[in-house]
Amino acid sequence: MTKYILKRFLGMIPTLLIITTVAFIIMRIAPGGPFDRERAIPPAVQANIEAKYHLDEPLIKQYFRYLGGIIRGDFGPSYKYKDQTVTDLISNSLPHSLLLGTLALMAATFFGVLAGIIAALNQNTWLDYTAMSIAVFGVSVPAFVIGPVLMLIFAMKLKILPTSGWITGPDGWKTVLMPLIALSMSYFASIARLSRSSVLEVIRSDYVRTAKAKGLSPTMIILKHVLKGAMLPVVSYLGIAYSGIITGSVVIEQIFRIPGLGRFFVQSSLNRDYTMIMGVIIVYSTVVILMNFLVDILYSFLDPRISYQ
Amino acid sequence: MSDNKVKNTNKHEAVNEFNQTLKGESLTADAWKRLKKNKMSMFGLVMVALYALLASLAPILPIHAYDRQILDHQYLPPSLTKTAGELMIERQIDLIGRLMAKEKRSEMNEAEKERIAQMEYDVDHQTMVIDGKEILVHKMRYLLGTDDLGRDMLSRIIYGGQVSMAIGLIGTITSVIIGIVIGAIAGYVGGKVDYFISRFIEVMYGLPYMLLVIILMAIFGKNIFNLFIALSVVSWLTTARVMRGQIMSLKNSVFVEAARSMGASPGRIIFKHLVPNTLGIIIVYATLRVPAFIMLESFLSFLGLGVSAPYASWGSLIQDSMQGMTNFPWRLIWPAFAMALFLFSMNFLGDGLRDAFDPQSKNRV
Repeated sequence: MTKYILKRFLGMIPTLLIITTVAFIIMRIAPGGPFDRERAIPPAVQANIEAKYHLDEPLIKQYFRYLGGIIRGDFGPSYKYKDQTVTDLISNSLPHSLLLGTLALMAATFFGVLAGIIAALNQNTWLDYTAMSIAVFGVSVPAFVIGPVLMLIFAMKLKILPTSGWITGPDGWKTVLMPLIALSMSYFASIARLSRSSVLEVIRSDYVRTAKAKGLSPTMIILKHVLKGAMLPVVSYLGIAYSGIITGSVVIEQIFRIPGLGRFFVQSSLNRDYTMIMGVIIVYSTVVILMNFLVDILYSFLDPRISYQ
Repeated sequence: MSDNKVKNTNKHEAVNEFNQTLKGESLTADAWKRLKKNKMSMFGLVMVALYALLASLAPILPIHAYDRQILDHQYLPPSLTKTAGELMIERQIDLIGRLMAKEKRSEMNEAEKERIAQMEYDVDHQTMVIDGKEILVHKMRYLLGTDDLGRDMLSRIIYGGQVSMAIGLIGTITSVIIGIVIGAIAGYVGGKVDYFISRFIEVMYGLPYMLLVIILMAIFGKNIFNLFIALSVVSWLTTARVMRGQIMSLKNSVFVEAARSMGASPGRIIFKHLVPNTLGIIIVYATLRVPAFIMLESFLSFLGLGVSAPYASWGSLIQDSMQGMTNFPWRLIWPAFAMALFLFSMNFLGDGLRDAFDPQSKNRV
């Protein structure tokens, strides 16, 4: 088991290396640079700027300088936000994105599994139909539609939730609600559908029938047997879901003006702030890869049939 | 016995040992029967057909031009009965009314009365040349209101839908072709090639690859061509995976062996023998890709990285509506509704098709 975990852990390194390299190459072959202006800068000034940011060195040297920096946790200076390093900018904004993303994943999983179980146990009743209609709705309607519509209804017409702001203030939790719902809706929907079909499968299995025959109470059967079996497909879906949530939070942060990493990301892409984009990509990928790693570990604990070779 | 005599003209019909007629049914006919039973899928099919019809007939429909700006007609609310002029006067009176309440007067002053009279005159007399004809400009109607530049929302939604659907369709086809080729090669060749491709797909799946698309769009410039490329580059993964599985299950069958023993090249075996046999399933999965593709496109347009003015897509319309959402909610509601309904229908249709063609895959995400 320890060997399996270690192997999976070390397996993350080449993936990250590939991402870093690809990001580096894209940045360098892209037309236009961060210091391009409408008016041409005098060549001497241009040369000075390039020397300051080491852009005059051969590409391979720049690449290894950059890699060396990352290992020390230094993503270099931002090309656009003067006097701030990328590391500072990221460490100030990442916690907000992580909080939102993790809350969204937890909410989607909890309510998704709950809805899936309720729908499956009441198959072909109105409860089932309602839950599954909500689920199809959630799959069909993208987050950037749900977000503004929620805002229009709850913040602007009914005035029961604040339009923007993030956590600060006495009613801080209220500012989290709408972004959370908008972001987690489609993953809630997918998880509800997944867990419904896996619960349907599990409750017809032999071991559940045995448990019933032993006289176990329905609640105990669900908690002890059904839930565990039904969670497997959901758990394996969580990695993909988290990657989607991270991407989705880019628009959600724009809509609700959350000072997270997503807003920086779009802004720095448009500004061609190379070090910033690469920093964000690497951090996002690390988060997602770590999440996948945790999911794999969790999965292997839940399903004893997986071999660890 | 003579009653049961079977005319064996149809090659799908056969007689079993009890002399019962067996009517063979093709996979498609069988699937169609199953699809017809699924009410929601049929609803989806009808809606998708309706949308496709509206979008393709857009140039000959009696709607306003999607890019015609009439600044007098800014932010008109949707109305089935009132003309643009009536709405403009209504708004002016409302404005004056609020001013009067603020200044605690009960009557309009002369200047205001004159303003209204002038507007009423203009409404009845101002003309504009549109498509070579001179028409009374303020007698026009906007069923779904207008936007910040006085453009008709209805026609922008229809033309935006055209763009969204076209991108969804062409993008899906491109990505499916890439997926077929890569998946088929991985499945047929196997070994190291397969290992490498599968690992690559796995890595891509685990990544927030939309972020790569955002960078590509931001850096290489936003136009529809780049949008296609960027989206196709990242969206072939699922097709490739399905294709790989299909090919692997087929590649040891007898007809492939026969082809191989006759000296057919791997390329010929893959594309002449294997791929056509998997197309049914691939088409079904492609149907499910279309809404996903439209969502990706509108996601980018929403960030301002997709379709650019004067063209519109559903995503860019929703993005545009974010300013002044409280005062002009119709700018958000109608495009959002149009898009949600289409994606809803498309998802239902896709789910139904998948259940009909591939009954074992029920309820997979």
